[in-house]
Amino acid sequence: MGPLAVNDIISSNTNFFLAFVIGIGFGFVLEQSGFSSSRKLAGLFYGYDMVVLKVFFTGGVTAMLGLLFFSLFGWVDLNMVYVNPTFLTSAIVGGLVMGVGFIMGGFCPGTSFCGAAIGKLDAMVFIVGLFIGVYFFAFGYPMFETMYKSANMGSPKISTMLDISDGVFALILVIVALGMFYVSEWVEKKFPQKEY
Amino acid sequence: MKPLHYLTLILLILALVIALVPQNTTRPYKLTAAQLLSEIRTGTQFISPDEVADKIIQKDPSIQLIDVRNPREFDMFSLPGAINVPLQDILSEGNTDILNQGTRMNIFYSNGSTEANEAWLLTRQLGYQNNYVLQGGLNFWLETILNPTKPGSVISNDEIARYDFRKAASMALGGGSVSAIAPASAGSASAPKPGVVPVKKKKKASGGC
Repeated sequence: MGPLAVNDIISSNTNFFLAFVIGIGFGFVLEQSGFSSSRKLAGLFYGYDMVVLKVFFTGGVTAMLGLLFFSLFGWVDLNMVYVNPTFLTSAIVGGLVMGVGFIMGGFCPGTSFCGAAIGKLDAMVFIVGLFIGVYFFAFGYPMFETMYKSANMGSPKISTMLDISDGVFALILVIVALGMFYVSEWVEKKFPQKEY
Repeated sequence: MKPLHYLTLILLILALVIALVPQNTTRPYKLTAAQLLSEIRTGTQFISPDEVADKIIQKDPSIQLIDVRNPREFDMFSLPGAINVPLQDILSEGNTDILNQGTRMNIFYSNGSTEANEAWLLTRQLGYQNNYVLQGGLNFWLETILNPTKPGSVISNDEIARYDFRKAASMALGGGSVSAIAPASAGSASAPKPGVVPVKKKKKASGGC
């Protein structure tokens, strides 16, 4: 509940409570959409189920258009929106670790808790692995620190780098996303899920 | 029509609109004269010496004391952990990182509160946040924290507690020894007490997958 908590409109306890409620709602929707199934998630890598790609791209594109329209109407000052700074090296290494873990385990961190909540053993094992990773990183932090903090690019925007307006970049991204949707429809037909 | 076709149509129309309209740059975060006046009148930029003393004693890492007097005065006496950014250098490039940031609470101070207030006005007009002013400046600091006067005979518990805190803070921060150093440039008699409104500190937003 970003702006409410940051500006002390609601207390941090209320914030935690709302986060708890929203978290349960989020988990419920994830589960109902089939995201607690590692087969569905891993389907992305084998081509028979591209729903993960579609969901994340729809989410991204919707949020992007929403923020741009809010800014257009003067409801949101985009300069005030917090953007995580980009550390290029750790983003790439972390992305690889996350991707390998995803394809091996069949879950991403959020969906593993979702799976564990409905009693899936593989999700529980995944969570154990997740915590081993967390401890390994935390205790080995001095080892990773240089790499972790290298190539700090601040909060760059691709539109600024390409010297185009945010709106034009949004249009390009929407076209790319839509292209991706049609390609994934085709891929799903081409590589149907094998029955085991 | 398939759902995907609907989605395509809606997204494309919205994206085309957003690509064709000019970007909204009418609301850059700067204050109008009226907004600035209202901030000055409510005194949101002031932090009381007691609050600052408490933060210094607790070694609160979220504050950064900034001395806006000249380096000579800074060398003679400064608050623990303070850095020196003289008022005339406040706009220089090298200081932008210190003054324009979202994590720490910068507290300007000078002998009175005039110079610190000027520094705050300049940075505020640039749109910087998290900059505050030590209420009453160093003179008021000396009066209240380093050499606290015992309140009168008919006093409330609050006043006793405040006096006790100031005495303790005075000991922790080396009170008494510096009373002669305070330069009289801003009128050391008794610094006017600007009204203090509790400062709301911005918390950093966070999130993740």
